Amino acid sequence: MGDTLASPAPAVKPTVDDVIRSRRQNRYAKGAFFALLLIMVVWSIKVTVIEDTDWARIGSLGKVIEAANRFIGIDFSLFPSLIGPTIETLMIACLGTLLGVFLCIPAAWFGAHNITPYKPVTYPLARLMMTLSRSIHEIVWALFFVAAVGLGALAGVLALAVRSIGFIAKMSAEAIEDIDPGPVEAIRATGGSDFQVVIYGILPQVLPQVLSVIVFEWEINIRRSAILGLVGAGGLGLVFFRQMNTFNYHGVTSVIVAILMLILLGEVFSYFARKTVI
Amino acid sequence: MNRDMEPRPATPSGTPQREWSRFKFPDSLIGYGIWLSILVFLAYTVEYLDIPLDRLLGMFGRLGTTLADRYYPPDINYIMDADYLEYVIETIQMAYLGALFGLLASIPLGWFGSYNMTPSRLFVYPIARFISMGCRAVHEMIWAILFVTIIGFGMLPGVLALMFFSTGFAAKLFAEEIEAIDMGQVDAMRASGANLFQIMIFGVFPQVRVAFTGIAIYTWDVAFRAATVVGFFGAGGMGWYLKRNILQIETERVAAILLSIIFLVLISEVISAWARARVMTMK
Repeated sequence: MGDTLASPAPAVKPTVDDVIRSRRQNRYAKGAFFALLLIMVVWSIKVTVIEDTDWARIGSLGKVIEAANRFIGIDFSLFPSLIGPTIETLMIACLGTLLGVFLCIPAAWFGAHNITPYKPVTYPLARLMMTLSRSIHEIVWALFFVAAVGLGALAGVLALAVRSIGFIAKMSAEAIEDIDPGPVEAIRATGGSDFQVVIYGILPQVLPQVLSVIVFEWEINIRRSAILGLVGAGGLGLVFFRQMNTFNYHGVTSVIVAILMLILLGEVFSYFARKTVI
Repeated sequence: MNRDMEPRPATPSGTPQREWSRFKFPDSLIGYGIWLSILVFLAYTVEYLDIPLDRLLGMFGRLGTTLADRYYPPDINYIMDADYLEYVIETIQMAYLGALFGLLASIPLGWFGSYNMTPSRLFVYPIARFISMGCRAVHEMIWAILFVTIIGFGMLPGVLALMFFSTGFAAKLFAEEIEAIDMGQVDAMRASGANLFQIMIFGVFPQVRVAFTGIAIYTWDVAFRAATVVGFFGAGGMGWYLKRNILQIETERVAAILLSIIFLVLISEVISAWARARVMTMK
């Protein structure tokens, strides 16, 4: 966008003319950039919204509102049967996060460039692991594990665990890279082994940050585990899918309300947990 | 934690010196208690969820054979097809539009939802917080399904789902960014009689401009990641291809599509990291 600050001439002070010229160039570059953005918006709107949408089927705004109105209302009779799936969802999230934490220990260890054992190999390996885990959506991971271990909660747990590696490992590795090297050197100087260096030198320094990242990821995992049932991994998603397929729209709303309540609970818990940790 | 800093009471001569430990008796059990409760919870959860642990062990072998037999040669020709590439471009457009609309919606939400700048802490603040939390709490898949049932298949529901998703995502980050500003400039403007909009435009916005740009780029990246799969439930884009091939058990094509998704997400991540680093240097 702007190159004014990119290459300052060290000795010669820029004259007023220089500044004005570079600003003008800057303005042209900015104008071109925003024009490009605008063209992209117009093109995208044209392709996705105007051409691709079946406006005849949607009809008037009134019909859309009517369709949306079907969802307003809560099927209270469904709530007793939602308690079990809600607990299941919560448990899948907890187990998935725990398993993810264990899986991310090697990734965080290899991925922090100050403690990685053999930099040319292990560092890119860990980075690849993190990126793979983050770039594949949880639905795709769940499909993958449903194919591997069959329908049920286990597939959901594995999908969440693999999906959490990326974020936890990345944040932990960054925390490890930022540590104070003093304690590590002190322990090494007194003859501590590598293992002792990690336990007494590194872990105490990063533990609060890592714990808060884990709690944060747990909160996100609740959100994710609520939809894993859509592809056969148990929990509230399965109920959602069933209600949707039987066209019980009020039931759908009740499931969403249950999900919201669960997430609210998780958010409150995570807020206080992170406050006590830090 | 502070207890080990206290001076230790002198032991009367004759009583044996106790071995030093970091925590005294009741506190020393807390660590074990936490580990024990985690173990108990694990056991109970595995029991409750009915998890077949024997399958977990057999998983790797089965996964290996499945991948090698069915998914292995990914059908690269399939994803090089012009038809498919068109869907890829549509996915990018969907993510772009969804993120853009979501960002536009989240600027006022971020303003109203920031505790220091909100026009009214009693009414506007909780409402804005509630809206942004609601958008964030409902997963993008659920938004997609809801919009597909309301307005039918196509890319419009995808755009709407991504819009709600990015609104929730960005509004929280925007609000946090506004809460972290330096209030001195705001107070100065308020003292000289500026109104709410003037404070926002000349007092707050210059301070958060760079951070907002970074967040916007990141939102686009996340929206693209979500856009690759919202089509799974009928909202257009590559997800629809994925779903179709999964239903037809065209596993080699599925492998190819997954590879293409990973590739595109990696590219978008590189672009977003580069753009964010660029924006940060312009600060």
